[in-house]
Amino acid sequence: MRRRYGRIVEIALFILPFAAFWILFRLGPVLYGFFISLYRWDPLGDAKFIGARNYLNLARDPRFWNALVNTLEFAAIAIPLIVGIGLVLALFIFAGRKRRVTTWLEAGFFFPYLLTVSVVGLIWRWLLDPDFGVVLITLRDMGIDPPVFLNEPRWAIPAIALATAWWLAGYRMLLFRAALEDIPDEFYEAARIDGASGARIFFSIVVPLLRPAILFALVLTTISGFIVFGQVLIMTAGGPGRASEVLAMYLYRFGFEYLEMGQAAAVGMVLFLIILGLTLVSFRWLGYESSL
Amino acid sequence: MTAARLGPRLLVAVVAALALLWVAPIAWMFTTGIKPAPEIFALPPTWIPQRPTLDHVHEVLSRWPFLRWALNSVVVAGATTVLSVLVSVPAAYAFSRLRWRGRDAIFLVFLSSMLIPLEVNVIPLYFLMNRLHLLNTYPAVFLPMIGMPIGIFLLRQFYINIPGELDDAARVDGCGNLRILWHVILPLSRPALAALVIYMFTFAWNEFFWSMIALSSPQMFTLPIGLRALQGAYDIDYGVLMAGAALAVLPTLMLFLFLRGSIIRGITMTAHK
Repeated sequence: MRRRYGRIVEIALFILPFAAFWILFRLGPVLYGFFISLYRWDPLGDAKFIGARNYLNLARDPRFWNALVNTLEFAAIAIPLIVGIGLVLALFIFAGRKRRVTTWLEAGFFFPYLLTVSVVGLIWRWLLDPDFGVVLITLRDMGIDPPVFLNEPRWAIPAIALATAWWLAGYRMLLFRAALEDIPDEFYEAARIDGASGARIFFSIVVPLLRPAILFALVLTTISGFIVFGQVLIMTAGGPGRASEVLAMYLYRFGFEYLEMGQAAAVGMVLFLIILGLTLVSFRWLGYESSL
Repeated sequence: MTAARLGPRLLVAVVAALALLWVAPIAWMFTTGIKPAPEIFALPPTWIPQRPTLDHVHEVLSRWPFLRWALNSVVVAGATTVLSVLVSVPAAYAFSRLRWRGRDAIFLVFLSSMLIPLEVNVIPLYFLMNRLHLLNTYPAVFLPMIGMPIGIFLLRQFYINIPGELDDAARVDGCGNLRILWHVILPLSRPALAALVIYMFTFAWNEFFWSMIALSSPQMFTLPIGLRALQGAYDIDYGVLMAGAALAVLPTLMLFLFLRGSIIRGITMTAHK
C-alpha cells in the first residue's frame, strides 16, 4: 500500500511542474476569461455583473460582424493557399530529393517561416506600396493594371492572405515532405507496374496516405487563420476604413483602446468557440483515426 | 537527350526559379535597407544598390534601443525554451515510460489544449499579470508560453519508441525513475530535445500579440514589438524600416545558414506525427 502511494506521488511530481504552468496560464485563463466576459469593467477597477450583455452587445454590433466576416474571408483565402502551396512545394522537393541542390531550394522555401510577423508585414507593405512597391511597378511594366492592393477594400484581405501564405507555406511543406517520405517506394512501383498515370498515383495513393498530414496542417492553419493579427496591424491596421479589421484586432481595440475589457474577453471566448467548433468539424469531416 | 532525362532537369530549373522568387522579398528588404532615400523611390527600381549607405542602419541603432530589444528577445526566448524543456521532460516521461490508470486520458486533455492559442487568452492573462504585478516584465511575456502541449507531445512521441528493455536493465541495477530518465532516456532523446528547443525558441522569438499587450515601455520591447514601434515613427520611410527589419533578421539568417540541416530536421519533427 505504501509503495502504491509512493508511486502515485512520484507520477504526480513528474507531471506537476508542467501541469502547474498549464493550469495557471492556459486552462485557467479560459475560465477566467469567461468570468471576465460576464462583467462590465470600470477602468478604475470596479466591476459590475451584467450577465450575457457583453455577448448581446457583440451580436448587435455591426463592427463585430464586419470583423467576423473579414476573419472568415481571410481564413477562406489563406488556409487553402497555405496548405495548397505547401503541398505543391513538398511534391516538387520530393520529386527532386535525389539532387543535392534540392536541400537548398527547400531551405529557401522554408526560411520565411522563421521571420517574425512584423518583418513579414513590413516587407510586404513595402512590396505592395501603391506608388513605389516593386510588385505594382513590375505588374504595370508587364502591361497589367493592378489594384492598389492594400488601399482597396476588396483587395486588402487577399493581399494580406498572400503575404501570410508566403510566410507560412514553408512549414507545411516540411510536414508534407516528411509524410511523402513515409510512403514506401513499393507503393509507387506497384502502381506504375499496373500502368497508373502520375495523376492517378497522386489521387489514389498520395492523397489518401497524406490524409493525416493534411488534417494536421488544416487544423494548425485554421487556428492560425482565425487569430490573425500582426500582419494585418502592420500592413493595413485594419483599413482602408475597417475593410480588413479582423476579430483579434477588434478584441485588441475594445480591450486596450476603448477599455471595454468585458466585451474584449467575450470576443476571446467567441474566438475560442469558433476554433473548437472548426477543429471538431474538420476531425469528423476528414475521418480522424487517432494514432496517439 | 531523352525526355526522361530532360524532365528532372527541367523540374529542378523551374523549382529553382520559384525558390529565387520566394526569397526575393528578403533580398529586397536587405537592399532597400542600404539604399539612400532617393534611390529607394527611383523608377525603375534598382536591384543592386548603386550607392550603398549605412545611414539607415545608423539611424536605427543610434536613435532606438535596438540592441536592448535584441537582448530582451534573447532573454524571453531563452527563458521560454529552458523552462519549457525543464517542465516537459519529466511530464513526457510519465506519459510514456510509466504505466498508470488514466494516463492517456489526461494526456489527451493536455494535448487538446492546442486549441487554446495564446491570442484567445490575452484579456484574462492581462488581468492575471496585473494582479501579480508582472506587467511590463520578462516573466509576463514568457510564463504563458511555457505550458505548451507541443513540448510533452513531441518528447512523448520519441520516448515511446525507446525500447523498454533499457529501463528494465537499469531497474534491475537498482535505478529509480529519475536516474533512468537522466541516464537512459535523456542521452537517447537528443534529436527530440533539439527539435523542442528550436521550436520553442522560434515560437517565443516571434511572439507578437501577447508581447505587445504585456510590454509597455520601449526599454522592455522585444524585437517584433520594437519593429512595430519603428513603423509607428517612420510610417513609409522604408529605408529605415527595412534596415531595422534586416537587422532583426540577420542573426536568424546567420544561424539558419550554419544550422540549416538541424533546424529543418527539428522543425520537421514538430510537425510530423
